[in-house]
Amino acid sequence: MTTADDIFDQSTSNVQGLGLHEIPFTESPPDLDSETLQYIFTGREHELRRVFNLFQSRERRRILVYGRIGIGKSAFLREVLSVLRRKRPQMLTAYISLPADLDLATTALIAVAREMADDEWAQRQLYQMGIPTAKILKERSAEVSGSLGIGGRLAEKDLPITKPLYPTVSLDTLLERAQEKYPQGVVIAIDDLDKRNPSAVRQMMHDAQGMLKGRAWFMLTGHPMGITGDLLTSERGLFDLQLKLEELDQPTTYKMLINYLNSARISNRSTDPNDARSVLPFTPETAARFCEVSLGKPRLFNRLGNTVLDTAANMQATSITPEVLAEGLRAAAPELRERAALSVQEERIRAFLEQRGPISDETITYEDLEQLGFRSFSDILPFLERLEAADLAHQLDQDDTKAFAPIALPPALE
Amino acid sequence: MGKGFGQPKAVPTRSAAQLMRAFGKYCAEAKGDERQVEQFLQANLAKLDEYLLEALPHIFPKLLDDGLFGDRQNVASLFVAFGIAISGFPLGDRALNLELSFAAYRVALRVFTRDNFPQEWAGLQNNLGNAYRDRIRGDRAENLEQAIAASELSLQVHTRDAFPQEWAMSQNNLGAAYGERIRGDRAENLEQTIAASELSLQVRTRDAFPEKWASTQNNLGIAYGDRIRGDRAENLERAIAVYELSLQVYTCNAFPEYWARSQNNLGTAYGNRIQGDRADNLERAIAAYELSLQVYTRDAFPEKWALTQNNLGIAYGDRIRGDRAENLEQAIAAYELSLRVLTRDAFPEDWALTQNNLGTAYGNRIQGDRAENLEQAIGAYELSLQVYTRDAFPEKWARSKHNIANAYRDRILGEQLVNLKTAVDLHQEAAQVFTQDAFPLSWAENQGCLAEALMMQASLTDNANDLDMAVALLKGALEVSVPGSPDFIDSQYLLGNALSRRFERNQQASDLQEALKAYKTALDAISPEHYDREKIWQALPTTQSVLGSRLVREGQWQEGLQLLLNSVRLLSEGDDPLAHANALYQTGRAHETLADWDNARLYYRDALRLYDHLNDQPGIAQSRHGLGSVLASQGYFKKGMAELQQARELYHQLDRQNRVAEVDNLYQAAQRAEQQISEVPL
Repeated sequence: MTTADDIFDQSTSNVQGLGLHEIPFTESPPDLDSETLQYIFTGREHELRRVFNLFQSRERRRILVYGRIGIGKSAFLREVLSVLRRKRPQMLTAYISLPADLDLATTALIAVAREMADDEWAQRQLYQMGIPTAKILKERSAEVSGSLGIGGRLAEKDLPITKPLYPTVSLDTLLERAQEKYPQGVVIAIDDLDKRNPSAVRQMMHDAQGMLKGRAWFMLTGHPMGITGDLLTSERGLFDLQLKLEELDQPTTYKMLINYLNSARISNRSTDPNDARSVLPFTPETAARFCEVSLGKPRLFNRLGNTVLDTAANMQATSITPEVLAEGLRAAAPELRERAALSVQEERIRAFLEQRGPISDETITYEDLEQLGFRSFSDILPFLERLEAADLAHQLDQDDTKAFAPIALPPALE
Repeated sequence: MGKGFGQPKAVPTRSAAQLMRAFGKYCAEAKGDERQVEQFLQANLAKLDEYLLEALPHIFPKLLDDGLFGDRQNVASLFVAFGIAISGFPLGDRALNLELSFAAYRVALRVFTRDNFPQEWAGLQNNLGNAYRDRIRGDRAENLEQAIAASELSLQVHTRDAFPQEWAMSQNNLGAAYGERIRGDRAENLEQTIAASELSLQVRTRDAFPEKWASTQNNLGIAYGDRIRGDRAENLERAIAVYELSLQVYTCNAFPEYWARSQNNLGTAYGNRIQGDRADNLERAIAAYELSLQVYTRDAFPEKWALTQNNLGIAYGDRIRGDRAENLEQAIAAYELSLRVLTRDAFPEDWALTQNNLGTAYGNRIQGDRAENLEQAIGAYELSLQVYTRDAFPEKWARSKHNIANAYRDRILGEQLVNLKTAVDLHQEAAQVFTQDAFPLSWAENQGCLAEALMMQASLTDNANDLDMAVALLKGALEVSVPGSPDFIDSQYLLGNALSRRFERNQQASDLQEALKAYKTALDAISPEHYDREKIWQALPTTQSVLGSRLVREGQWQEGLQLLLNSVRLLSEGDDPLAHANALYQTGRAHETLADWDNARLYYRDALRLYDHLNDQPGIAQSRHGLGSVLASQGYFKKGMAELQQARELYHQLDRQNRVAEVDNLYQAAQRAEQQISEVPL
């Protein structure tokens, strides 16, 4: 009789059969404090150089990193910050993903305050917003005596999240305090600008001009559709560097695969692309094919890698032969669709795309749109972007049209 | 007045006397059971005729001589009983029935004089008051004055101290008569109704007199529902609350008829309700009317059935849920059912009301031929005006005038300028009654519609005065209309139109600013619950795209773009593809203004595709123009120049020389840029 424990052991040994102690692919980049990032971050040398060149100046800068969904913007941002943390101990680096309903100043304030665990004023700012603080705050005596026994401290969850009244001023004050401790300056990285609606972001950027030109370095990320396109033009001059992240080329993707596999390999680490062992349990042939299918998109690469290794482990394979890879990729298509949980409308557009091949705002006809139940391409664009986010479609690199193509995976067996 | 007195003696009285004898016997046996008495009348329906009416005043001596019923007093009581029974009898000719009850009461009054029988006299006055209130023959305004006078006479005897219950009854009836009064100030009359009903309720408490309490609550509900003073929304809430109170006593099982009446009234209050979700309120109104019709069947209560059908028609005409075209068909069907009973002869006033409503339903009708529907509407309004004369029914006369004016404004047959002139004249007639002081809301509505007619006239004649007058009228109307009400939104929207048209003429920035403000106010006030007006349905997204593109050009791009995108979204679901194409084009332009080339290109291409599908040449030309300009700005000179070339040809065919020149300039600029680039060695 197999017990759950046996099954667990079997699973572990299946992965170990591939020479790995775990499946290294993950959907979102590892945390800033994790060492993994250092091992797996690959390529982008040119982009990193441009960013770090800026850091050689005393002048504070504003950097916009943009690129399509899943292209590795967050990973890039975190890589930059982790390098800075190692190389510039006297610089404060703060990372935050843009929360819903917050302005940029408050967001930046939270990010910086979280990094300033020893600064009581900073912690009080967080506390007032209902954000857990690193240290328990001492109540001021005046408050205690004033409470007349109604009940000391409020539990944290009872505190309403109150934005600071004057976030820009509060942030400025905080930055002033930070600079005393961190003479090399403060870097604030705000990720995921694009998760908010474009017009809100536009307004936010507009409102935050003064702050962005203030005491700190800023790094922001977003994807080029919608918001960033506008940011690039309407807020011209706001950014010192606008960095576009593109798909990785084949050799870099191959190197990235090596790095990922090495980060989880049990023994015999090798990072030489010319050494066939570097891509084990892949063969050089299947590794190359795998890189080709992932289109140089880090997130798709991770998602597919996960499925392929998982399939291989289930098959109790010890090596990813062309047959095993094909099996894994076949499993990927339905898996991606299942994960995406498409709406009827999205599924209709996906099926249309799969059947029709690439479509664009230039070539699609009124009849096509009508067949999909729409009258304009701008109406189906959000659906296509959703498909792109789910790795069920990808945008073609064309500047004079918006064109989408299906992602070519072998069809499922059924 | 005084009909039936002083007639020649030759009136045949035998059958009348026989009927009264039989009635007397039957009443005695029935021991006051109203239903049995009603059965008697039903069995003798054919005998309730004009002859009986003529004979009634003359048969008193005969009946007295019979000795069957005892003394004068008893015979007089028989007449009173007959008067009461016939006044509440739902079958036969209602007008005649009421005359019969009058005649009977008057006979009884000869015996029950104030001096000898003050209490009976007062009771009879009360009954007379009710009969006058309901009377169909004679001048309605005068009848209601008589009703008030009679109730007041009865109150001289029925004092609160001596006869609290009767006092409460007469107060109730006095209130009811004031509620329907035509003469005097309507607002004041309704205050009188409320005051009298509330006095009555001091005695008619729920515990002591639940049924009467419910009845007075019902009257109070009607008064609050119609009230002019105070906050309209609040008054309607009170009306609803009061009807719902009355329904606690008037249950369907215990008092089916009153239950049906309160349901009907509740339906009306929900139909007019301002608070809450309008769509929901109308569904509740329809449900209440339909409940009411379970009791008010055509056979049992023809008049009430017909009136409730009329109400149901109104609710369907306003309904938001369901298919609008279908709802209007339902409304028309209900009015037509109603008119089978509410004939002009039997119920002239209700007939006129239903004709007016039928006119409105035809005026809004979606199915059928629009031109024909408007003719039907005009015809129906004209019929209603045969009864609604200015002297007899000034308010309703003005309402029908107002309505017929709107139909003329929209009329398709005939000369448009003549129709518009007629509309303007009719609105001005209505304005003689709908004055700002007496009927502020109707005044505002009429002013708004007059302004609309003037604006249409101005667009035909290019008369600046008409436009100025329209602006002034709308501003006046907005001062009194309830913010957020459909009329308010309409007026703001019209004001926006009037001002932006004036801006097109005079290019005065202040007009544009004001137009923007009016549009914005209208947009702010529009929420789904006001979508009952088709006009606003379409106006919302169209206004958004006009305002949006203006805002973008004025530099308020954030707000402007938001409006444009909103309008595109709404129009993509609507059935006006041309408006959708225009909004897409405007959105493209806005993006171009913002130098967001990618989105500009995307929206221009969408607009082009849709214009192409609609074969709209000017639209195709302007989209290609925009697309070409964007492509060239992005450095795709060849592609851009190809678009510009096509735009140029189209503009040329459309004889838009200014545009041809514009495109030429762009084309040449693109050409130069292309040459410069190709000259740069790689």
